[in-house]
Amino acid sequence: MEKVVAHTDDLAPGEMMEAEFDGRPVVICRASDGDFHAFTNLCPHQGAPLSKGQLCGAPEPTDEIGTYNYKNEGNILRCPWHGREFNIKDSGRMLANERQKLREYKLSVEELSVADGNIILYK
Amino acid sequence: MGFIDTDIHERVSYEQLLPYLEQPWRRYITDCHWMQEKHMPYTQPAVAGVDRADAQLPDGRPAGSDLGFMQEQLLDSNGHEYGILTGALDPSPSSMHGWYEMATALASAYNDWQIEHWLEKDSRLYGSVHIAAQDPAAAVQEIERVGDHPKMVQILLPIDDILWGDPFYHPIFEAAEKHQLMIGMHHNEPPIYYGKWPRYFIEWHTLIPTAHMNQVTNMIFSGVFEKFPGLKLMMIEGGFTYVPFLMRKMDQQYTDLRHEVPWVKRMPSDTIRDHLCFTTQPLEELKKWELLQIIEQMGSDQIISFSTDYPHWDYDSPERALPPRLDEALKRKLFSENARQFYPKLRRGGKTDGKSSRSYG
Repeated sequence: MEKVVAHTDDLAPGEMMEAEFDGRPVVICRASDGDFHAFTNLCPHQGAPLSKGQLCGAPEPTDEIGTYNYKNEGNILRCPWHGREFNIKDSGRMLANERQKLREYKLSVEELSVADGNIILYK
Repeated sequence: MGFIDTDIHERVSYEQLLPYLEQPWRRYITDCHWMQEKHMPYTQPAVAGVDRADAQLPDGRPAGSDLGFMQEQLLDSNGHEYGILTGALDPSPSSMHGWYEMATALASAYNDWQIEHWLEKDSRLYGSVHIAAQDPAAAVQEIERVGDHPKMVQILLPIDDILWGDPFYHPIFEAAEKHQLMIGMHHNEPPIYYGKWPRYFIEWHTLIPTAHMNQVTNMIFSGVFEKFPGLKLMMIEGGFTYVPFLMRKMDQQYTDLRHEVPWVKRMPSDTIRDHLCFTTQPLEELKKWELLQIIEQMGSDQIISFSTDYPHWDYDSPERALPPRLDEALKRKLFSENARQFYPKLRRGGKTDGKSSRSYG
C-alpha cells in the first residue's frame, strides 16, 4: 500500500503535521537536516495526539551535575500532554527509556520539482 | 456507563471577576494591578506550561477558559455524566498569606462567576465553594450564602502551608455538614520541602502525595471526623497509591500513641474508608495486578474516584490511564459510583432538596 500524505513544501525543518495512513493517524515530521520521518500520531503512554506537541530540542544526558547541553533542536518530538520525548532521528526512541519507540512508518520522497515533492508512506 | 470526573479545572481571568467585585476590591485589580502571590521557582516544564498543549484555545485564550471548547474536547468526547469543577487555584483565596478581606471578596466573586458561567450553563458541571478559610467567620458567611446551591458539592481547601484539622477551622466543617457539602482538598503550592522548595520541579511533582499525607494525618488525629460524622474529604490530585502505607502507619501509631489524641475513637484506616475518597490522577503506570493489589491493601474499592485533571499537562485519559481489562463492576465504581456515593448532591442530580428557593450569582 502506498499513499501520498503530504508535500515537501508543506513543512519546513523543525515542523510537523498530522495525516492519515491506512486508517490510522500519523505525524509527519521534518527534521533539522531536512529529512522527513513519519510515526504513529498516538503517544504510547495515553494516546495523546503527538502532532499537537512540539518538535524541539532537549538537554542531552551528561555526567556533569547542573549542566544543561541543549541539543537536537527540531529533532525531539515532545508529547503535548505529559511531555515525553522521542528522538525522530533515532527511530522515534524515547529519551527516558530507550526500550520504547514510536511506531515508525516507511517513507519515500518523490521529487516533483526542485522545490516540491510527494511524501509517500508505504507498507 | 456514566463517567463522573472529579477534577476539572475551569479558569477565570481577573478581568472576568470585576463585575462580581464591589469597590474598593475592584480597583485593586484595575488600578493597582493586584495579582495572587506566586512562589514556585520553576515553570511547569511541559510543552505549554501547566496545560495540555492541545487544550489551549485557537484564539490564544488559556486552556480551561471557554465552556464550549471544554464541552467539545472533554465532556462530549468522553461522555461525561458529571464533572466537578475545582478552579485553577488562581485566585486561591485560602492560600493568601495576608489581606483576608480581599481574599473573602475574591472568594465570593469567584463563586458567583462560577455559578453563572459554568454551573448554570451545563447540566453536567458541578462546583466547589471557594472561601477564604484563614478567616473562618467570613468563610462560614460565604458557605451560608452559596452553600445550598444544588450544584455546589464541596468546599475547596488548598493543600498549602496550613493544616486544616486545627480546631480554629472547625466552624468551616460545621457549615459544610449543615449544607451537605464535602471538603475537597487540592494542592496549590505545598511546601513539601521543609517550608521551601526542592531544587527541581520533578522533585516537587514527585512528592505531592507527601503533602496530601500531611493533611490526611492532621485531619484524622485532630478528630475532625469524630466531631463531624457527616463530613467527608476528597483528596484531589495526589493519587491513591500512598494510601495503603499511610493506613498501616497511622493504625500502628494509633495503637501505641492513642493516649495523646483521646478524642480519636477509631482506627485511622477505618476512618479513611468511611470518610475519605481519593482521586486517581496523576496515575502511575500500573499493571492490572498492581492496581488490584493496592485496592486490596486499602480494604475497599469504594474510595477511589477517577479524575482527568483537564486541561492540565498531566491529564489522565479515561480510556488509557488505568490498566486494560478491568472488571466492569470495578470500572463502574471507579468511574462513577464511588463519586456518586461520595457527593450527596450528585445523587439528587443537581435538583434542590426543596429547602431552598433563593437565586444565586
